[in-house]
Amino acid sequence: MKALDRKLLRDLWNVRSQVLAIALVVSSGIALLVMAQGVFGSLLTTRDAYYTRYAFADVFAGAKRVPNWVEERIAAIPGVKQVQTRVVVSVSLDVPGVTDPVNGRLISLPDRGRPALNDVALRRGRFPEPDRAEEALVGERFAEAHGLDLGDRLFAVINGRRQPLEIVGVGLSPEFVYGIGPGELVPDPKHFGFLWMTRRHLATAFEMEGGFNDVALTLVDRSPSLERAVIVELDAILDPYGGLGAIPRADQTSNWYLQNELSQLENMGLLVPMIFLAVATFLLNVVLRRTVAVQREQIAALKALGYSNLRLGVHYVQWAIVVVAFGTLLGIGAGLLLAEAMLGLYMEYFRFPFLIYDVSASSILIAVGVSLAAATVGALGAVRSVVSLPPAEAMRPAAPETFRVSLFERLGVRRWLSQPARMVLRNLSRRPVRAGLSIVGIAFAGAIMVVGWAMIDSMDELLEVQFNIVQRQDLSVSFFEPVERRAVHELAALSGVLQVEPTNGVAARLRNGHLQKQTAIQALAPDARLRRVVDLDYRAIRLDRPGLVLSTLLAEQLRVEPGDTLVVEIMEDSRPVREVVLTDTVDDLLGVTAYMEQESLRRLVRRDDTITGAMLKIDTLAEERLYGLLKAMPAVAGATLRSAALQSIRTYMLDNMAMMMNVNLLFAVIIAFGVIYNTARISLSETSRELASLRVIGFTRGEISSILLGELGILTLASIPLGLLLGFAMITGVMSVFESELFRLPVVVEPSTFLVSAATVLGSMAISAWTVRRKLHDLDLVAVLKTRE
Amino acid sequence: MAAQAPASPAQSAPVFSMRGVTKVYVMGEVEVYALRGVDLELREGEFTVLLGPSGSGKSTLLNILGGLDRPTDGRVTYRDGDLSEAGERALTRYRRRHVGFVFQFYNLIPSLTARENVALVTEIAGDPITPEEALALVGLKYRLDHFPSQMSGGEQQRVAIARAIAKRPDVLLCDEPTGALDISTGIAVLGALEKVNSELGTTTAVITHNAAISAMADRVISLADGLITSDVRNATKQPAATIEW
Repeated sequence: MKALDRKLLRDLWNVRSQVLAIALVVSSGIALLVMAQGVFGSLLTTRDAYYTRYAFADVFAGAKRVPNWVEERIAAIPGVKQVQTRVVVSVSLDVPGVTDPVNGRLISLPDRGRPALNDVALRRGRFPEPDRAEEALVGERFAEAHGLDLGDRLFAVINGRRQPLEIVGVGLSPEFVYGIGPGELVPDPKHFGFLWMTRRHLATAFEMEGGFNDVALTLVDRSPSLERAVIVELDAILDPYGGLGAIPRADQTSNWYLQNELSQLENMGLLVPMIFLAVATFLLNVVLRRTVAVQREQIAALKALGYSNLRLGVHYVQWAIVVVAFGTLLGIGAGLLLAEAMLGLYMEYFRFPFLIYDVSASSILIAVGVSLAAATVGALGAVRSVVSLPPAEAMRPAAPETFRVSLFERLGVRRWLSQPARMVLRNLSRRPVRAGLSIVGIAFAGAIMVVGWAMIDSMDELLEVQFNIVQRQDLSVSFFEPVERRAVHELAALSGVLQVEPTNGVAARLRNGHLQKQTAIQALAPDARLRRVVDLDYRAIRLDRPGLVLSTLLAEQLRVEPGDTLVVEIMEDSRPVREVVLTDTVDDLLGVTAYMEQESLRRLVRRDDTITGAMLKIDTLAEERLYGLLKAMPAVAGATLRSAALQSIRTYMLDNMAMMMNVNLLFAVIIAFGVIYNTARISLSETSRELASLRVIGFTRGEISSILLGELGILTLASIPLGLLLGFAMITGVMSVFESELFRLPVVVEPSTFLVSAATVLGSMAISAWTVRRKLHDLDLVAVLKTRE
Repeated sequence: MAAQAPASPAQSAPVFSMRGVTKVYVMGEVEVYALRGVDLELREGEFTVLLGPSGSGKSTLLNILGGLDRPTDGRVTYRDGDLSEAGERALTRYRRRHVGFVFQFYNLIPSLTARENVALVTEIAGDPITPEEALALVGLKYRLDHFPSQMSGGEQQRVAIARAIAKRPDVLLCDEPTGALDISTGIAVLGALEKVNSELGTTTAVITHNAAISAMADRVISLADGLITSDVRNATKQPAATIEW
């Protein structure tokens, strides 16, 4: 080992706690980057492999009832590679021992062989035998949620009849990676499940013999133009059979949510790590500048001995690189662990039969490259000033620091300040840039805390609004077919039902020029009380004008504004195509919806006075009996509990958030500690002589501590308002990244969030202060007076 | 001037008393004897110069007298107090109330002006003179608001003296006060020390390896190798202004 390399290692060892603090900040950034990239890469690779191995389809379509012979016509559409027709029905499920309403979807399997498309990955057991009517495969999450095992039985309620089902296998499908039921936002396997049965038996039970109501197909290539062309053809073929409009893979529910999550991961995975790396670069620069300044005479001596500027420059750049490399290694390790934990969490909501870990080497290389570049930049600035000095000049001590009366004192408060207070102010104001950067660095720590907590605030707000202001029913009931309005009275007559409001939904395609969106139009009564549309101030909007009201996001996607006209293709009944005026947009928080006043919708669809569902307010004491009564009503396809939906969303958000919050908290403390501790150590090394002099003339340890810590305190206090502002700005930005069709989070920051964030920063300062204070106690009074700096 | 100077320092009460003081520094595996059983008394108002080459133990002696260090063995008393047994807090209190220090490298606070550097002490002292008075005493009343970086070395050292005496210390301890100065500024600094000693009657100990300075002292103590080799009382004191080296 060269002598200069030994010096490097010993210098680093001498400032090891500072090195560790910086390395930790670097490692936080790298860990976040590796985690995000690892989760993103693994999910993406796993998804693609899953889709390929289990033949996930490219285009999906539903219809009322299509004769089997039409399948050939579909297969003949140019560009279609493979077609799979199926019978898919929604039913109410009766799981022994479960009183809550449970809904399910039964999907047909070919009578012989495996599905050609959307194959089922068998996790346990076997596929149903074609000649056994009762055998069924059940989705894995549903089986887990209810503790169902092979051989267990449950019942599908079909037209009021209980059809027994025997579980022979447990499976997963690429169609239901994110397995939500209709109207759900978050998988709730306790209340919704997927089951597969052989086609023959399912068709018999639902009077679908000789026909199908669901088709999936793959294309020869996935070009958007071919996709569009096939969808147009497919719609034309299915139209006469009550086609509900074909959708591309991108709009398939499970895939859409998965894609949405992946995009978020990709976005978030870059921004936050960059903040950490920026802070680390700043710290490195400050610490190195100080080190280089202290070693000024050593550098001069080395130059006098014949070391070149380049060699010395490299020496100090190495200094930075060692620190960053250490942090990077630590970060990669931590990031891989975090990625695994995060993936475990994702597996709760996104189900795959296998997981392919894929942390791309290139993303790690980018991380390492970025951090090394940052380190080099940090080091070069510090080294340049010193190596440029002629050796003779460098060997003389640096000129005494020039001080001025600080601006703050000149404002007229000077005479109220003690001498130590003046020292603090002048130390700070002599290096305004460094003080500013320290403040910004600490502020980032506060901001990260604000972002973490504000996410929870915003989610609470969303749930509060959605489930106390918008949706106020206890139970929503859906029917297999539109039923006459008098069903409302039948429901109202059931014991335990306190209030009933009809709902009406119709599948439709909204079009504006070439932009189109497949959705459902929800009809609401002008005086609806259980399901309402609210504006930004959470006041109910009265739907009393004919015309559409769209979620703002939906209107933006279709590029329409209130007053514009849209083409509405109704996908049911006589399939009318109408022009409808957009009367209003609404900033709703959950999902995207199209609303219409119920009478206007009825006229538009030219439907009799029917309803497709109802909202119920119920007496909780009578709920169990009521669920039984509802299941026995032949028209009822399913019932959904608001409390269950609320619970599953809350759990989902908290699961996700809890982990992110812990990671955030840890990293915020690391940043705060890293910045404050380094600032403290640097001021300590710069002022140790002064502080020792003060001790000699009789200042107590407490008194000199308060000078050093006063400086830290001022920096920290100044950083807090900035941190809170920065946090608010960041959360606003983060929320816009999070904005999706799934939910839009209102930016809400509770005062408690600011308090907790400020307290975390202050706590970090206390820890740093305590650590540094111990160094103050070890000041060597004699030595410091004997040496000239 | 020289109005109320004590009649004869030789007869006044001892301020410091050292008995058998030994100081051993453990440097790695070797023990270095800085002091080897020193006996010494310093009296009220006395101007003492401690002479010796580097490594003779004079700085160690001064540090022990000033409460910056404790002897390994032996006893040191300041008036009625035992410095050799005092704890950290007691030593801080002792330095705060009774001792004024002047160092070779001034040790001023660069971020404070001359006046403020002195005020550092007057703010924590019990019965100080004002910073302006103290600076006037060392001939710096026109440089009150200058920062250390705006002053010469001699001026900075005189600020350090003003800072040391502003609390009316019982004893002024100076470690090579002219070591970093050229002769003319050094003389000015010595003049300031002389003036403080005569006008305020402050017991003063100056350590130096510059033998010329001993001419202005009441008493000259020489050290070598951790022991006192001579202790001489000057019959006549030479004014600082006439010293040359």
